[in-house]
Amino acid sequence: MKEIDIPIETSAAKRRTNPLARVFDELVRFCRSRSMFMLHYCTGCGAIELPPAMTSRFDMERLGIQPMVTPRQADILLITGYVSIKTLKRVILTYEQMGSPKYVIGICSCTVNGGMYWQSYATAKQLDQYLPVDLYIAGCMPRPEAVLEGMRKLMDRIRSGEADGWEDYYRRYDWYLGNQQHLFGDDWQTPADVIGEASHYDLAGPGTEGEHTRLLQQCQKPLEPQQTFFQIGGSLEKKGESHE
Amino acid sequence: MSKTVTPWLDNLLQEIEGVEIRRKDSRRVRIDIAADSLPTLLELLRGRAGYVHLSAITCVDWIDESQFELVYQLWSYESQSLVSAHIRIAREPGVYVSVFDLYQPAAFFERDIHEMFGVYFEGSPDMSKFILTEWNGPPPMRKEFDAEAWVNETFEWKEYQPDWLKEITEQGGGIVKTPEEARQKKP
Ligand code: SF4
Repeated sequence: MKEIDIPIETSAAKRRTNPLARVFDELVRFCRSRSMFMLHYCTGCGAIELPPAMTSRFDMERLGIQPMVTPRQADILLITGYVSIKTLKRVILTYEQMGSPKYVIGICSCTVNGGMYWQSYATAKQLDQYLPVDLYIAGCMPRPEAVLEGMRKLMDRIRSGEADGWEDYYRRYDWYLGNQQHLFGDDWQTPADVIGEASHYDLAGPGTEGEHTRLLQQCQKPLEPQQTFFQIGGSLEKKGESHE
Repeated sequence: MSKTVTPWLDNLLQEIEGVEIRRKDSRRVRIDIAADSLPTLLELLRGRAGYVHLSAITCVDWIDESQFELVYQLWSYESQSLVSAHIRIAREPGVYVSVFDLYQPAAFFERDIHEMFGVYFEGSPDMSKFILTEWNGPPPMRKEFDAEAWVNETFEWKEYQPDWLKEITEQGGGIVKTPEEARQKKP
């Protein structure tokens, strides 16, 4: 494939000159907080409180929150409950596919500190070591009222500009990656080029790159489609033939 | 269809030596049998008594006796009854024969037990990783695997009394009972 060189204007290059920019920012943040599309990654039992929160009884949609089907179109990643280590990989892949700005909500005590699965070998304990969590809604499981309360809190934080977890992921990517590598092994990699994105958003800081990202670059190999085989039926077929 | 386990099952079981039969209720029978005789028993139950459905194979780790217990749950649609056949095998080396040729669903159960307990089933079609595809530690359901120690070594814990919580506590919220208090046994 031929590489096309498109000049990218970084925000550092174009200094803001418009005096109304601040007002405009505020408007953008207001709009963002009133139209949130959430991707609920139903990892654990806490997901069961989402249907009532979304449907007519509590009706999240009146706050402008709607479920969304793909990560690329979603603003909020909702982690509902314990994440097994296997699931966590998928959650991180999903998170990195989402477009910025993006927010992560950890519902349930299990995402805070392991919850009742605290001594399980299979679940990750603190979600915020692997992903920047903007808001936790604790409870086992939190009632829809609590979920809505949490959502409203997130709306406030988006409007005031405090919900900046996604920026933190770019700024301290090395730390997050280090924790991920600790759990998944040194050859852990995702298709997303987080460091490139960080410099695109002009968020690359001293914590973006470090020993862990160097390790990532060493281990990185081109991605191949994953294949899974089930070979249970092999001998079955043979038996079927002999019956004929 | 009679709801009791039919008498011909009893007759059938008398053909095998060394079995201990305990009737749990009218539709449940527990059979303890020597490991060598289990395939024969299953063949009889399947071929002559209509126990065509293997619902599960489960494994129990009796670490103090240095044994694994394997339980084969068999269901008969005709007599509507459940037979559970219990065997004990030595924990070391933890090898047993597969019953895949009698019951094909056994492949999944055996693969699962192999993954969780490390029991190897000779003749099972596939002993590769099943659910824990990304787990490199020891088989986690074995009793000598200390999950708590592994967790403490792998993960860090969040502070239970962080500073920001004090504000919430002053407003009447916060943690009512700390984990330490909760774990204390009642006198
Ligand atoms: S906190 Fe409770 S409800 Fe939520 S995932 Fe954990 S166990 Fe399930």
